[in-house]
Amino acid sequence: MQERAFRFGRARHMIGIAGVPEQRSETPGVIVLNAGLVHRIGPFRLHVELARRLNARGYPTLRFDLSTVGDSAASDESQTREQQVCADVDDAISLLGEQAGCTRFVVIGLCSGAQNAHTVARTDPKVAGVIFLDGYAYRTLGYKLRRYLPKLFNPTSWRRALTQRQRSAEVVAGEPVFSVAPLPMAVVRKDLAGMLARGMKLCLIYSGGISNYFNHARQFRECFGRVVDHPGISTHFFAETDHTYILTGDRRRLIDTIEHWINQQFPVVNTGASS
Amino acid sequence: MTTRPEAERPLYFGAHGELFGLYHPAATPAKKAVLLCPPLGQEHIRCHRLYRQLARTLAGEGMAVLRFDYYGSGDSAGASADVDLDRCVADTMAAANELRRLSGTDHIVAFGARLGGSIAMMAAARLASLVVWDPVLDGSYYVMTQDALQAELGHDPQRFTTPRMPTDVAGQWLGFAVSDGLRGQLASLRLSPSTVPTLVLDSLPSTAVSRWNALDASCTEIKTLQLATPWDDLARAEIAILSHPLIQAVSGHLRATV
Repeated sequence: MQERAFRFGRARHMIGIAGVPEQRSETPGVIVLNAGLVHRIGPFRLHVELARRLNARGYPTLRFDLSTVGDSAASDESQTREQQVCADVDDAISLLGEQAGCTRFVVIGLCSGAQNAHTVARTDPKVAGVIFLDGYAYRTLGYKLRRYLPKLFNPTSWRRALTQRQRSAEVVAGEPVFSVAPLPMAVVRKDLAGMLARGMKLCLIYSGGISNYFNHARQFRECFGRVVDHPGISTHFFAETDHTYILTGDRRRLIDTIEHWINQQFPVVNTGASS
Repeated sequence: MTTRPEAERPLYFGAHGELFGLYHPAATPAKKAVLLCPPLGQEHIRCHRLYRQLARTLAGEGMAVLRFDYYGSGDSAGASADVDLDRCVADTMAAANELRRLSGTDHIVAFGARLGGSIAMMAAARLASLVVWDPVLDGSYYVMTQDALQAELGHDPQRFTTPRMPTDVAGQWLGFAVSDGLRGQLASLRLSPSTVPTLVLDSLPSTAVSRWNALDASCTEIKTLQLATPWDDLARAEIAILSHPLIQAVSGHLRATV
């Protein structure tokens, strides 16, 4: 299989790489969204490795740059950020649908990519599954107890906390920070329930790299309640990894987990046709 | 004058169509063509935005530009562990040929940052001139620096809640697998003086060893950029490198040498 490069979109302003297996199947196509401002190859080439693993399994993929990210330009439309993300992903879905013949899609996003995947999955009926990597999470009471209670009686923690506070204050003063305010927990909980009610499959994979607001597998339930008991949702917490999977072994484990989940939820059924 | 983004063309090229490239045609008939050779590993990702800005600036000034990824990097075929220095040089020559074909111009100038500059220097026989930014001349020092950063990474409390085992961090540099072959190639890298006109843009910290003594003064011009570039700062490993002075220096030099 050879990947193909495309310029596409309503203003022909986006760049993407499609991987379409030679054997046609009735699997969903997989759309990989930007992680922050890193271009479509993903942090440490995560998206390339992931897409190629899924292609080898029989899933068509598209990794692409959203408007103004990576090699994509602006669409020159007057839209909110959410409208622009939805329109971009819709363009990506159309492209992969044309190239691979798929009609259902799984969207994968890390960090801001997970937020964008959430935005799209709220409304797009073509989305059959979503993989949220370090998506929405909230500092629950359980989080605070797990984080602060052991430290209360530890003098080393007190000393470290004081010096880190000083260091983080220096960082805040030196580096501009741009971020999007997260959706309220109740809204996200309701959204996830709505997605599951529509038959969507959800996979939440969180890392130890977000330990400043998520620190235990139990926190999925603390944040999202009984939604996590639904058979359509799967949760994983990799406590020892960092946020962007900088170690090759951690990245392999993440890709193994994603491949396994997709294969379980959307098994490949070959139709016998070649593209 | 600027080029319209939709004129930029993504493509695969090379003998087996394995190399990814993004061609920026000139806004006016091309006077010369510029090949942008990326660095390797995480520096490739950190420089992506800057390379795009540089390409668009040069295209707007009448130069055809090709950005590309070596085999095993970016969107090109191959796994990260497949990156090989000799293959990178061969890919650079293939990319230069592709740029000649696309632009209709035989006069190819290459730009490269860090190891991208080193690779451009190794491919110089097929190029008209070079602009290199903090090129790696002494590979053994580069290997030592990357090893030190990787060892530090495993114990970085800003990244990991508990320190990682040495086996977890072995065989890789800042997110990218490094084969024994590539490590050996880099460890023995000692660049010979360039045989074509070369501009070296220097933004290494003043404490950096070796500098540019190994270069032949007769065909090398050295220009110092005001601000040091934090190439080897673990805390900034995932922060993009942007530099308007660099873009101004490159475009100004290429304008003046048309």
